[in-house]
Amino acid sequence: MQTAQKNLGEVLFALVFVVLGVAGVIFAGTIEVPDLEFGMGPRAFPYIVSTLMLVIGAGLVFQALRGRLGAAEDGEDIDAEASTDWITIGKIALFVIIHILLIEPAGWPVAAAALFTGASWSLGAKPLWRSIMISVILALVLQYLFGGLLGVSLPRGPLLEGVEFLNG
Amino acid sequence: MDNFNMLMEGFATAAQPIYLLYALFGVFIGTAVGVLPGIGPAMTVALLMPITYSLEPTAAMIVFAGIYYGGMYGGSTTSILLNTPGESASIVTALEGNKMAKAGRGAAALATAAIGSFIAGTIATVLLTFLAPVIVDFAINLGPVDFVALMVVAFLTIGALLGGSILRGMASLVLGLFIGLIGVDDTTAQQRYTFGFPGLTDGIDVVLVAVGLFAVGEALYVAARMRKGPVEVMSMGSSSGNSAKWMSKDDWKRSWKPWLRGTFIGFPIGTVPAGGADVSTFLSYATERKLAKGKNKKQFGHGAIEGVAGPEAANNAAAAGVLVPLLTLGIPTTATAAMMLTAFQRYQIQPGPLLMETNGALVWALIASLYIGNLMLLILNLPLVGLWVKILQIPRPYLYSGILVFGALGAYSLNFATLDVVILLVIGILGFFMRQYGYPVAPMVVAMILGPMFEVQLRRGLQISQNDVSALVSTPFTWVVYGALVLMFVASFFIKRAQKKMESAPLEQIEENSQ
Repeated sequence: MQTAQKNLGEVLFALVFVVLGVAGVIFAGTIEVPDLEFGMGPRAFPYIVSTLMLVIGAGLVFQALRGRLGAAEDGEDIDAEASTDWITIGKIALFVIIHILLIEPAGWPVAAAALFTGASWSLGAKPLWRSIMISVILALVLQYLFGGLLGVSLPRGPLLEGVEFLNG
Repeated sequence: MDNFNMLMEGFATAAQPIYLLYALFGVFIGTAVGVLPGIGPAMTVALLMPITYSLEPTAAMIVFAGIYYGGMYGGSTTSILLNTPGESASIVTALEGNKMAKAGRGAAALATAAIGSFIAGTIATVLLTFLAPVIVDFAINLGPVDFVALMVVAFLTIGALLGGSILRGMASLVLGLFIGLIGVDDTTAQQRYTFGFPGLTDGIDVVLVAVGLFAVGEALYVAARMRKGPVEVMSMGSSSGNSAKWMSKDDWKRSWKPWLRGTFIGFPIGTVPAGGADVSTFLSYATERKLAKGKNKKQFGHGAIEGVAGPEAANNAAAAGVLVPLLTLGIPTTATAAMMLTAFQRYQIQPGPLLMETNGALVWALIASLYIGNLMLLILNLPLVGLWVKILQIPRPYLYSGILVFGALGAYSLNFATLDVVILLVIGILGFFMRQYGYPVAPMVVAMILGPMFEVQLRRGLQISQNDVSALVSTPFTWVVYGALVLMFVASFFIKRAQKKMESAPLEQIEENSQ
């Protein structure tokens, strides 16, 4: 099932290690070395790690090309038969980005509620109003617990400006 | 005797009402989060890290001790009650525990797991109490090259021995080392791989990596291939008519030996970086299966109580064992231990041979609260099973959305910078692909912590020897360590072969029965 596609994915992912290794070696050469350094300087370990990465990456590419694929991880909520649902992943990543964009202008509770609503909708929660309700309660409770009680400086945002006990 | 006094002082601290409350809070929240499917102990500690940001060190450590043990307890509840294959660490418990629950003996399975965990946890904590000072006395004389040897062992066992593919484990490990390089070099204060970004000079926080890999990566991975339909949670046995509830006399008789055997299998394996809980539960299971006689032996694969009692005890004893190298040498050997070490570092506390001298009161309060937390877990767990069942039934869309929100909260509250949440997402996507293509994520987290420590010791060692590389194998201690490493690899080869044989046998039976 979809072996060719998975094969390609594995080769590409293994190539990431090779690329990182090459980049690591190149940029290790740009690390400045203080004059009075004896023993191992700041470049040596980066060289070792990058070279290792390069070698291991090459080995992985080789394995993947020969069709020796990794076993995808198991889990309680994983359907091993299902094929990868890229659209859901894309939706969730999008909502995390929206969350990031909202934190500072709109405040953490609003951003958190947006993330929860969006993610649970992407994962197939129905109906939508229930997701929204849970998300608002969760966001306010977390803001109160962490911002109000524990003193973590979460921005409460313009919507909740006057609410003193939510102050982060 | 001195240590005994220190322990008593630790108890005096940990037994203060406010600290007891913190301990209770820790075990409760640790169990509740640990019960959630897909969340292992390492992720529990990583996700709950923000809770302790505003606590003073002693309170934070006590909460963490509770979370650590609670997470372990929670995991076994999941594997017994949930009708789906679980994570590898608790899969052995699931083999027999799940069958017991199906046969209406879920309560007995949970009870033997809880009591076994308590006994193993307590014995192992006693061993930790006596062993730790001895190791510290020894470790104080170790030089940089000795630490290099120990960390080489840790790297190779974590990267190469865990998981199915050596190359993939090592790739994950090296990736962790690489990310650990980003930032300012400790020794010379030179910037490495920061590309002039001010946000990178302090390096990438390991909490960010752990939460990204475990929480966001897991959520994305589940999102990609979520099991559809309702969650199947086992009933507790009363509905089937026969009021087979608690452990019978026979269950006790069959459980106590596996509990003890599991403890003494788990603890030593936990103390050496030879694979942690995974290996110990398997070894305990194999031992019990071998030792069982007559009709008990036939029950294996159909719900033998020994197969729950032994591995659960081994699991918890290993968890305590892991604290030995962590507290005495400052070397984390599991992802969970790496998270604990990070928690220490946030309070400017550096675990290692000097820890017991410089922060003795704190360490002993931590150890004392392990005893207390363990007792609390035993008391909490059985009556609260109903609550855990409820938690297991949380609809998955809400569960994983909640994990995402909590992960994002943890990332943002590190420095109150949105850049951290961006990095979180990037690492989460990386974690997704690692799962997809069978790369273990735990070595990466451990390597991020161990890497910088390793480099410092390596450079120190080579500076003393004036760049003579042979210094790395110059002390008797290093000979012993590298010799042990070779033995470990030989032994693991045989264990892995046996494990494959064992795992394929009962799983086939499960499939037969379900058809």
